Amino acid sequence: MENKTIRDNLLKEVAPHLERTTPAALAWILFLLSIIGLGIFAFITQVTKGHIVTGMRDNVVWGIYIVNFIFFMGMSYAGAIISGTLQLFRTEWRKPIIRLAEYLAIISLLIGPGYILLCIGRLDRLYYLALFGRIQSPITWDVIAISTDIFGCLIFLYLSTLRDIANLRDFKELNLPRWRKKIYSILALGYEGTPEQEKRLKRATDIMAAMVIAIAIIVYSVLAWIFSVTLQPGWHSTIFGPYFVIAAIYSGTGVLIIAMWVFRKVYHLQQYITRKHFVAMGVLMVVLAALFGYFTFSDYLTKWYGSEKNDESLIKILFSQYYWPFIFSNYIGVLIPLIVVGIPKLRSITSITISALIVIVALWFNRYLIVIPTLESPYLPIQDSRPEWLNYSATWVEYSLTAAGVALFCLLYTLASKFIPVMNVSEMADVPGTDKTEGPFLTEESLL
Amino acid sequence: MKGFQKVSCFLLLVILDCFQIKVFSQEQKDSLADINTKISLLYLNTSNDTVVLTANLFVSRDQGPFALQNAEIEFTATAGKEIKLLGETKTDDQGNAVLKVHVKSGLPCDKDGKTVYLVKFNRKGKYLSSAESITAKLAKITVNFSKEDSLRFIKVNANQFESTGEIKPVTKEKVIVYIPRLFNLLKIGEIALDDNGEGRIDCPENLIGDSLGNITVIAKIEENDTFGNVQGQSSITWGIPKQYYLAEKPTRELWTPIAPIWMIVTLIIMLTGVWAHYLYAVSQLIKIKFARKKDLF
Repeated sequence: MENKTIRDNLLKEVAPHLERTTPAALAWILFLLSIIGLGIFAFITQVTKGHIVTGMRDNVVWGIYIVNFIFFMGMSYAGAIISGTLQLFRTEWRKPIIRLAEYLAIISLLIGPGYILLCIGRLDRLYYLALFGRIQSPITWDVIAISTDIFGCLIFLYLSTLRDIANLRDFKELNLPRWRKKIYSILALGYEGTPEQEKRLKRATDIMAAMVIAIAIIVYSVLAWIFSVTLQPGWHSTIFGPYFVIAAIYSGTGVLIIAMWVFRKVYHLQQYITRKHFVAMGVLMVVLAALFGYFTFSDYLTKWYGSEKNDESLIKILFSQYYWPFIFSNYIGVLIPLIVVGIPKLRSITSITISALIVIVALWFNRYLIVIPTLESPYLPIQDSRPEWLNYSATWVEYSLTAAGVALFCLLYTLASKFIPVMNVSEMADVPGTDKTEGPFLTEESLL
Repeated sequence: MKGFQKVSCFLLLVILDCFQIKVFSQEQKDSLADINTKISLLYLNTSNDTVVLTANLFVSRDQGPFALQNAEIEFTATAGKEIKLLGETKTDDQGNAVLKVHVKSGLPCDKDGKTVYLVKFNRKGKYLSSAESITAKLAKITVNFSKEDSLRFIKVNANQFESTGEIKPVTKEKVIVYIPRLFNLLKIGEIALDDNGEGRIDCPENLIGDSLGNITVIAKIEENDTFGNVQGQSSITWGIPKQYYLAEKPTRELWTPIAPIWMIVTLIIMLTGVWAHYLYAVSQLIKIKFARKKDLF
């Protein structure tokens, strides 16, 4: 009964965001749509005129599309790992923010692969991948892994939102159109919180939480292997798998902090998403910053010390042509969170959010520096290539499609928050101690 | 909410429509302006009484040169006031128009034996005219082989054709000797022609030929001010026969069409494990749906 009252009060608080769209929200959505429209125009231009409208040429065949792909996929895996881990370990402070991590996982996963399609010159031959794809190719591994991951994340998101969907179906004070009530009713699968239903839901959610963590690690490692199995300077590294995974969680943590800050402000969730949550996520960010810094240093140190000709020339390029992006992504992007969160006096919601923003930008540049300078300094000279094709610079088409991807990400986040509450209302309503899902995940029951 | 959706859809359409208009207006502006074309000419005398003329037609854009396809190119040979139309061909998708001219058909030449080859693209629509020429004197390179004791030599002889019909040796010029390999020509040496228009180099012993040991030797005078590009070639069985390994049955390697067994097994185990868990989770969802009905009854 107590749980029901808390739940109803929480639903009353989130109801206005589900029921109506304010003029400011409408303006925000229109703004995002206009950016997406620009992206569609850029896409049409690219399809009709070919990849000549991009900065990609014979030498640099992967531009910022692949950078965005790695970036979005990284955010997705971060969302999956964070939400899966918090779910499995029943972390109490997870409740108001876990839904944001779940959204992060699936929304990024839906956008990221789109950038791979933009890299393909002949989209009409895409089905050749299914017809003639070779299992030995890391690209085939990636396609299999990403499609498996999408299904996994969708099932996990559905399982973790099922109780809230049932609550929205049952909450009579919610003033929603009939079609939306109907959708909630269908999606709720007749869930009424009976002991058997709860038991089955908990079991399925725990299994999927473990699965999304495992798959996220595997999938992002596969993505790293696309680079590291090739004999390219800067890519052929044994630590690329774990390095990519750490970088992914690191950037995703930054995005999650930004999302927490935005929804806290816009939806007035100050009493639920508190400084405690920011500090907890900030501490996670510090640990990841240290690990990311360690991996980065280890990777470049071995390359530099080995003095292999091409590695040496790559490092020379990074410290000359790409000096500031390199310093920003690998020094400032690591040190800022360490200082801001590491020193207790500096910890505040704003300072942690700003350092998260720096981390996101730094990690985008980190991926840029992994992809572009390597392609600009290949082992073998490319035949009939022109000197002006050696260096890459993105065009307005690529920037527009990048902006469109970010806008689509924000739009889907906004729309998702208008369909299902951004906080896990059902779990927040569970009074600690009475919650049947509390406790370590390896209970006797789950072991059986 | 319905109103909001309608407004969103309308605005999206308006935005897209505006961009469409811009696309067409850009194209229209583009189509009205004259476009300068550029043409380049490559001359190659293949020594088997044929001169190959390759013209490349393109337009310069910010992104780089764009080849012009299906453009008619006119090839002429001139010397003094004498002009001879060699032929007309159309450019391919790379912008190349190739014309092979038989030397025996008689080419005009000046008193030094030189012929001016001219290629011309006549204005078509918005694409402006362009022309290019190259001057070259006919020459011929022959490649022969000789063996002295255990040493093997590649001998090159080069001659030039005077306007009088007289044949004279090409002297003091550099000839580069190549062997064609899979992707490119492998340079194996250089010869400085003597007063008789002759020269020789040792033939390397470790050259891999075809399955019978045949190798092709190409001798070239490259980008010469008088003769342009002249090449001659000949084949001989001095190479090491290439051994082709044919497995009795298809092997499973990283590079073969069929993947290694361990890779397929690993993939099947992983995918089965993952999808079994997915199916289990979905089965729990189905049971959740039926658990409600069970409670109702």
